[in-house]
Amino acid sequence: MLALPTPVIVPDTDDETDIDKPWQVVVWNDPVNTMSYVVYVFRKLFGYDETKATELMLQVHHEGRSIVSDGPRETAEVDCFRLHNHGLWATIEK
Amino acid sequence: MSHFKTTRKGIVVSFSPEERSFLGDVVPLLAGIGETGVDPAATRLNVPVYLDDRDASDEWWRLMGEDLRVAQNADRSVFGHAISEKTETLNLEEANAFLRVLNEARLVLGARMGVEVEDDHDQLPDDSRHVLDYLGWIQEELTLELSHTL
Repeated sequence: MLALPTPVIVPDTDDETDIDKPWQVVVWNDPVNTMSYVVYVFRKLFGYDETKATELMLQVHHEGRSIVSDGPRETAEVDCFRLHNHGLWATIEK
Repeated sequence: MSHFKTTRKGIVVSFSPEERSFLGDVVPLLAGIGETGVDPAATRLNVPVYLDDRDASDEWWRLMGEDLRVAQNADRSVFGHAISEKTETLNLEEANAFLRVLNEARLVLGARMGVEVEDDHDQLPDDSRHVLDYLGWIQEELTLELSHTL
């Protein structure tokens, strides 16, 4: 039996990385929002437990921003909507 | 004593006549948000969603902006009704609407008062700071009450 060479497809790694990479929803620090409200919103919208939600809130507070969710673009856009509806300053990025 | 009490029927909201009179200004305040770039409150609320892509950001606002305004108006309606009564019992959804309105009011006032970093709050004139703190106090009470429901 003739062993055919296995075709090798060289992926364009840049494109593939870009496609695979999820969209990220970022919440930015705001001097008016209270810490407990931000924790509450993270728990309510994303189902995080109090520890996780508090970690994210503290990251926002100390580092100025935190990635709170990621996924396909449509999901990120809806998450961003829900955060804006709760008065949180949210953006989307890759 | 908290302004909010969870009962089997829902979250009971009660404010004094003075507080209800003061809180009666909240819905008109939010209805009077001006244009982005002119009113700092609008600039704070209508932020770009894609920081490096103006077109995508405009598209997001085109698609989502109207839904956001509808949701905000529904929240304000719940709030306005709740504070028009001496006591009012809110279901969970309504209590969350009430909370979002309190938060939005603080964002609007904070933006117009020029609060850009945490320390700015402490430098505000007493009257301004007291308004923000009073709304913040109520917001904390309700946040705490609602946290028990998660």
